[in-house]
Amino acid sequence: MSTVSESLVGSSRSLSAAKRHKSIRKNSRRIYSAYQEQGSSDDEDKQDERVDSNDPEEMFQNIQYQKEIIANIRTRPWPMRRKLKVLKQAREIVLRYEGRLTRTRGYQTAGADLLKKVSRVLYNVVVLFIPWEVRIKKIESHFGSGVASYFIFLRWLFGINIVLTIMTGAFIVLPELLAGAPFGTTRSKTIPKEHLASAQDLDTIWSLGGYLQYSVLFYGYYGRLRKIGSAGYRLPLAYFLVGMAVFAYSFIILLRKMAKNSRLSLASASDENFTFCWRVFCAWDYLIGNPEAAESKGAAIVNNIREAIVEEQEKKKDTSLAVLISLRILANILVLLSLAGSIYIIYFVVDRSQKLEQEKPELTLWEKNEVSVVVSLITMIAPSAFELVAQLEMYHPRTSLRFQLARVLVLYLGNLYSLIIALFDKVNSMSSAVPVSPGNWSDSSSFLATISQPEVDSFSTLVSDISVSEHRNSTIATIATVLVVRNSSVSSSGSVFNQTALFEKNTRSQQDPCWETYVGQEMLKLSIIDMIFTVASILLIDFIRGLVVRYLSDCCCWDLESKFPEYGEFKIAENVLHLIYNQGMIWMGAFFSPCLPAFNVLKLIGLMYLRSWAVLTCNVPHQQVFRASRSNNFYLAMLLFMLFLCMLPTIVAIVRYRPSQHCGPFSGQEKIYDIISETVANDFPLWFSKVMSYVTSPVVVLPALLLLFMLIYYLQAIARSLKFTNNQLRMQLQTERTEDKKKVFQMAAARLQAPEAAVDKKPDEQESDITSQEASIHTPSPRRNGSVTNFNSPVRRGNSIRTITQSASRADLNRGRGAGSVRSPTVTILPKHRPEHVPNRKTIRSIHPVEAAGIITAQSYGGRRGPTTRYVIVNEHDPRKKLLRSATRVPRHYLMEEPAEILELYPRNFKRYPPRTAHRQPHPHRPQPSQPHLSEEEEEEDKGKGRRRLSLGKTHRPRSLSDLHQPAHFYIGDRGESHASMAKDRHTARGRCGAQEEDEEEEDVEMDWGGLESHSQSQTSLRGADSLLVRSRRHIHSPGRHCQSPARTRHMEAYVKPKTRPKLETPLTESDSASLASSSDQQNSSTDQYIQVIHNKEHYLKSSARQGKLGKKKSKTSFDLNVTESNDLVCSNV
Amino acid sequence: MPELKDNPFRQRIAEVFSEDGEGNMTLDDFLDMFSVLSEMAPRDLKAYYAFKIYDFNNDDFICKSDLEKTLNKLTRNELTEDEVRMVCEKVIDEADLDNDGRLSLEDFQHMIVRAPDFLSTFHIRI
Repeated sequence: MSTVSESLVGSSRSLSAAKRHKSIRKNSRRIYSAYQEQGSSDDEDKQDERVDSNDPEEMFQNIQYQKEIIANIRTRPWPMRRKLKVLKQAREIVLRYEGRLTRTRGYQTAGADLLKKVSRVLYNVVVLFIPWEVRIKKIESHFGSGVASYFIFLRWLFGINIVLTIMTGAFIVLPELLAGAPFGTTRSKTIPKEHLASAQDLDTIWSLGGYLQYSVLFYGYYGRLRKIGSAGYRLPLAYFLVGMAVFAYSFIILLRKMAKNSRLSLASASDENFTFCWRVFCAWDYLIGNPEAAESKGAAIVNNIREAIVEEQEKKKDTSLAVLISLRILANILVLLSLAGSIYIIYFVVDRSQKLEQEKPELTLWEKNEVSVVVSLITMIAPSAFELVAQLEMYHPRTSLRFQLARVLVLYLGNLYSLIIALFDKVNSMSSAVPVSPGNWSDSSSFLATISQPEVDSFSTLVSDISVSEHRNSTIATIATVLVVRNSSVSSSGSVFNQTALFEKNTRSQQDPCWETYVGQEMLKLSIIDMIFTVASILLIDFIRGLVVRYLSDCCCWDLESKFPEYGEFKIAENVLHLIYNQGMIWMGAFFSPCLPAFNVLKLIGLMYLRSWAVLTCNVPHQQVFRASRSNNFYLAMLLFMLFLCMLPTIVAIVRYRPSQHCGPFSGQEKIYDIISETVANDFPLWFSKVMSYVTSPVVVLPALLLLFMLIYYLQAIARSLKFTNNQLRMQLQTERTEDKKKVFQMAAARLQAPEAAVDKKPDEQESDITSQEASIHTPSPRRNGSVTNFNSPVRRGNSIRTITQSASRADLNRGRGAGSVRSPTVTILPKHRPEHVPNRKTIRSIHPVEAAGIITAQSYGGRRGPTTRYVIVNEHDPRKKLLRSATRVPRHYLMEEPAEILELYPRNFKRYPPRTAHRQPHPHRPQPSQPHLSEEEEEEDKGKGRRRLSLGKTHRPRSLSDLHQPAHFYIGDRGESHASMAKDRHTARGRCGAQEEDEEEEDVEMDWGGLESHSQSQTSLRGADSLLVRSRRHIHSPGRHCQSPARTRHMEAYVKPKTRPKLETPLTESDSASLASSSDQQNSSTDQYIQVIHNKEHYLKSSARQGKLGKKKSKTSFDLNVTESNDLVCSNV
Repeated sequence: MPELKDNPFRQRIAEVFSEDGEGNMTLDDFLDMFSVLSEMAPRDLKAYYAFKIYDFNNDDFICKSDLEKTLNKLTRNELTEDEVRMVCEKVIDEADLDNDGRLSLEDFQHMIVRAPDFLSTFHIRI
């Protein structure tokens, strides 16, 4: 176990640890021994106990190491006792040696220890104060983590709102209350006389009028004095900054949380899907600790699994699409209509309320609140309507849930937006001083503009106001309407009051054109009404329903609990959405009503208690498990979206609208953000404003923007490349693992095979007849397995990729022919065997029975051309590695079989193979180390091939090690392929040329088959017995060898690096020429063989065996063997 | 512990965390269990013990029989045999990276760390 555990314990962590570990191990044997004897993986050196490390460096390292142990002890899967022991030991060592090292360090650790203890205690205390922990745990144990996640989200929002409240409270509300002008001193803080009477009425309060309107709740109350109090607190500036900080803080906290979450979950990093696994292994919620909940959870799991099964089954069949599609279209239309309807209704209501306000002197309670009531009603009713509509669509529950969420979100956003737009509309008309007639309006506005100039500049607002209005009165009569507006603000001054009385009625409607306050009021009202509706819906829909179901089920004719009304479900997703919506309202209104966050805090507290109570008393868990737990960023993403969209209106208001003239901290300014420039101009030194003007000039801003864009692009590119690397690494990991398993498996299988002399039975492998055939003939040995593996892989690759171009019928044809016509015992198996594999992989081998003799020459051309084109393509096909990856899984099984058959077919080759294979086997995993052996091997073994080798050597020598080893492989692979090719020769040799024409399309195929091709060509050329052709053949042959290399590299890319690829480029061409230059003696010998073979076809085996023997001593044989074999095949075919 | 009382794998959990493998826990084992099931435990550790829990026959592989047992415990034998078999096949099909017909620890970890709610469900709060 220990070894397993050791290796297991977070490879990432142990990476760094391992490095240090290695360096330390030698030094710290003594200390380490304790650790080791515990059974950790390194059971090497049992060490000399007496090595008392006096070297401070050593000791230091030691201590570091021990510290690491202490730090990571928690992450080790050891039993507690061992952990404690190791921990104690490590601590002791650290204590003892650290003290010895230096005194100061000892103190340091003591201090650190103390600090740690204190922080731990503190942490414990803090945990005590985490609100609602117990409550959430209780819910968790009843309903599982899904429902609890809602409450945790709520709590998190609560935290955010607390911070927002503190921000606004500390920097805006408190200063205003403490140092600002007291209530009633200024006009904006005084209730107009005519309203004083009704200011304390309930319905006024309820509609946030009266005293509430003129309180710190709203924007309008805040004074416009630049500095207040003795300390000179700059309230307007603070107001603006806090308003921005609210958004900034929300953004930052949200993004941080999201980043943290995404770091926690790897889910987003991969697109892999483990539906069933997750449903099985992650199904049980270990938090559930309630029999009832456990029961329902069990049922839910069963449902879930069944659903997955059904889904899986239904993937294959389609339902009647026409009906479904039309239904879905209908549903979407319905949803769109209802969305549009809701938006229209809201707009209409706002419009109406505006008109009502103008026309009627007294508004009823309903008329005052209808806007928010309507909005709340819509937000309550529409989701249920959507749910009904969603049933029409017959989506999968999960999909429909997603649709539902999206729709509800759109609805909420639409509501908020239409509301805010309608409000702004109203604001527009309000701030333009309510024209009596258009002409008049322009007049007055121009007038106002002229007036505002002196107003701002000259004296205190009040005085100037009065003087200006008097001035107006005396001078211009036509401006009477404008006066009205003014008058209302100056109502305290008696001189004007009389005149304004005439316009009493008008005045009322515009007595306070403080649109910010109005917006704030509206938002607060909306929030309140929303709260009321939430409470009502909880009570009515959940509680009453629960009561009814619980107590009336006996006296009803059907089972209330399981049939119609049932208990209310706790719909996590919708509730979360509602929370998000709520938070959106807060963000939207926070600028205009600084106390909104505070109100929201209260609301959330109330909601928390009410909801948790309702959930525990009268809800059942949602049937459809919504998987958006804490580790999921779903909620947060929506919240972020909401935040962004809710920030927009505020920003627009700040940037576009002119603040009201007589209320609020920004009154008298052209734009709200002017406060910044004003502050910069007045309160900062001159150089700062200069710098600011530079910074804000387009010269700086534009490049900065560009830079930002570039940065974004750059980061994105990096992210993309990282993703790519990630993918590659994952692939690498996978292949590595696969290869590893393969190797182990092979060895085991080989061991099995040897005694039994029976072919290994892989379940999904070949047909029995072939296996039996093979079994009868072959005598396997483990080494051969290995050898075959290597050559096999390219071939199968070729097969797998081939799919696209070939037709099955042809393959069949060929197969049939091959099997039927050629009946020599050795050869038959291969052709038959091959095709059999092919279907396994669902691919069809490319077999183009092009038999024209004339093509032979063409082939030679093709061969020559082949390698280069192929080569280029290798690069292109890199991306396809993905495909390959999937393919690689299958082939493993072949490997088991192929050896057998090949063994049998080419006995003589084996004689040469054994030593080589031994080296080859490790290759897939560690190509580099195996390389030298291989090349050496080759040298010794095929000295005869000296020439060929030479050429190879020439071409490859200059290259790096990694490259070097590849040629060796190609070499082998080539040979191996030749074996393979023999089998296929009949099909492929001629087919090759046809295939070559398609080079462009299926290059990777070509790569793999390059070797085969060359062989086939060689044969054909041989037949031609033409020197030219011979030449070409030689030429082709080596390319073939190299063709192999791309294939191989590609093969290795999975676990090595793609780097090797580019290097190959040069060698290829080089080898081309080199091979051309190489002499033709091989050729001759091969022809000899060829003849020979023709003569004694029957003695094939014997001859081959002989040749094999020869091969050991004689030169060139090894190479020739292949040729002869292939020739042999060809002959038989012919 | 109500959480453990209702957990279908309670027996397994006890076995895995007990030193004798029989489910008799010492205090250390108990502590151990909660250190693994706590929220603070790292994901790999949790995955490791989850694997052990689901590996009923302690052979360091989750094979079909383990899966069947898991399923039956999870669903309280409510699935038919066919369904169980199919789910087992599917599970192995999905998570078995090396095609050996069973899930090794690596396979399991690879799969489980990607599960969105493994971390949030595989813990017990006390």
